[in-house]
Amino acid sequence: MSETVKRSNPLIWLIDPLKSTASNADPAYRFTWSQAAWMLPLAIGIAGLVISAVGWATDSHQFYFSYLIGWTFCLSLTLGAYFFVVIQHLTKARWSVVIRRIPEALIWSFPLLAVLGLPIIFGMHDLYHWTHLELFDPASPEYDPILAGKEGYLNMPFFMARMAFYFIVWTFVSFRLYTLSIRQDVTPEAGITAKQRKISAIGLVLGGITTAFAAMDILMSLDPHWFSTIFGIYFFAGSFMAIMAVMVLVSMLLQRNGMLNGVIKVDHYQDLGKFLFGFTVFWAYIAFSQYMLIWYGNLPEETIFYRHRMEHGWETFSAVLLICHFIIPFVVLLGRWSKRLLPLLGFMCVWMLVMHWFDFFWIAAPVLHNEHAAMSMYDISAWLGLFGVFSAAFMYRMSRHALVPQHDPRLAKSLSFTNS
Amino acid sequence: MLNQLATEVKASMSIYDAQEDEVYGLLAEFAHPGELLHAAAAVREAGYKHYDTHSPFPIHGMDKAMGLGNSIIGWITLVGGITGLSLATLMQWWMGAQSYPIGISGKPFFSIEPSIPIMFELTVLLAALLTVGGMFALNGLPRPYNPLFFSKNFLRVTDDAFFLHIAASDRRFDMSSTEAFLKGLGASHVETIHDREEEDGV
Repeated sequence: MSETVKRSNPLIWLIDPLKSTASNADPAYRFTWSQAAWMLPLAIGIAGLVISAVGWATDSHQFYFSYLIGWTFCLSLTLGAYFFVVIQHLTKARWSVVIRRIPEALIWSFPLLAVLGLPIIFGMHDLYHWTHLELFDPASPEYDPILAGKEGYLNMPFFMARMAFYFIVWTFVSFRLYTLSIRQDVTPEAGITAKQRKISAIGLVLGGITTAFAAMDILMSLDPHWFSTIFGIYFFAGSFMAIMAVMVLVSMLLQRNGMLNGVIKVDHYQDLGKFLFGFTVFWAYIAFSQYMLIWYGNLPEETIFYRHRMEHGWETFSAVLLICHFIIPFVVLLGRWSKRLLPLLGFMCVWMLVMHWFDFFWIAAPVLHNEHAAMSMYDISAWLGLFGVFSAAFMYRMSRHALVPQHDPRLAKSLSFTNS
Repeated sequence: MLNQLATEVKASMSIYDAQEDEVYGLLAEFAHPGELLHAAAAVREAGYKHYDTHSPFPIHGMDKAMGLGNSIIGWITLVGGITGLSLATLMQWWMGAQSYPIGISGKPFFSIEPSIPIMFELTVLLAALLTVGGMFALNGLPRPYNPLFFSKNFLRVTDDAFFLHIAASDRRFDMSSTEAFLKGLGASHVETIHDREEEDGV
């Protein structure tokens, strides 16, 4: 660690591992918004979590599912940001430098998410059927030979060890990426860019494997009989789509409040819009690939997943997912004009983030309510609560440093980027 | 009327009709890509429509300088995509359920699930083919004969020279005033091009 970039005190470390470098920021890249930027989402977050706490007291089964969906939503945004940063470094991308600080600040959410994930440990028995040990006991009437066969993988100690491993990997890579970039802001040493690329290469491989397994562990094992080898990519596709929406919305918020005007231009927005469109289609492609093979194979332990989602009212939710997560955004975002019409692009980004949450809801909630479809108010409150706290920490982090990697060697190319 | 329309359509593909005296237009040479860019903007502002620029590499901002606007190629792609999608759906239904129905492991003769890959592929295929074909058509390609090839100087266009060509078919074209105008823009060399179809090019 160099002279000018210092570690923050251990209490703040969870939110930002470095002391504020805002005074080193170029005036054009300074965060000038008031504290409301993070106090407001924090207030919403706390309110949401307090309402959810009522849910925990009255209907803990529902609460844990709601909480898991909201938590997975925040985790997927962070993983999307992780992949975005890593890919930008590896491809030596020029266009994205002006918006890269947004995902860079997002990836330091992993430690906070690890802490916010602790309540899930107490709800493991409610969430995950495979935690019921009688399933593995041949003498028990509950004995389930299929799940007993999966005991070697689906058991608590191994699950917890895997979770710990994922978060350690993600935090380690994110720490390197985040601190290297902030260091470059303050002391533009040669070689930082090469170091970022090196950790990105390692990060991409580790991230790919851990994300696929994390998606299987967190979401797929809710329905432990079911399996789908494409599920990790399905999770990634949605996450990478959602991070584009987040970058667009954060950029718009900053610009509305008088920052980065003339730095982030409609050309950058259009490119983010292209990625948003592309990964909406990619999500549909993967979702359909998963569906078609299961439809064709017609094996009971695979079709059960779709069967649960096509009866007892869930068929409406499935139709909403198909129409609103794919067909409508496909038609709206197809043209060039809609990606350059910023109010419409912003609206579609909010839309896609809601649909991204709905995607997780559609995966997790039918496990709980398989007899009749239901959406609980705690689904919304836990989502807003976690997302509020998550956003507050993110905004606070943004306020402590320059809004753009100001000494990145490719910044000038990004500033003058056009795609007309 | 129809002839005029054909002329304009051809002009949009950079194919210009020569005048009766075989004059095809004026070819101005510029030393730098920047000069060509400014000249193109000035020519557009002067109201010329039938003109084109030639350079060894793409010049950023040239589309704006020439006022080309957005290409309609996207709409051609859309037409290709929709055609492919409809054809594939029809084909899957007709072959599976009408022409030769075979029962395979209890699956319906026609259903949307296994047809989607075919629908997707044909959508992409026709969209891609029409995009490439449309791009060629909009650019007037392939074009083995071009009167500009009569200019010896023009051979350098793939090497180190930058050219602006104003066609004689343009309404504002006038041999002397257009030549003076091009010289005024900083052209190092202005040449009259004749369309002599019967002769051999260089």
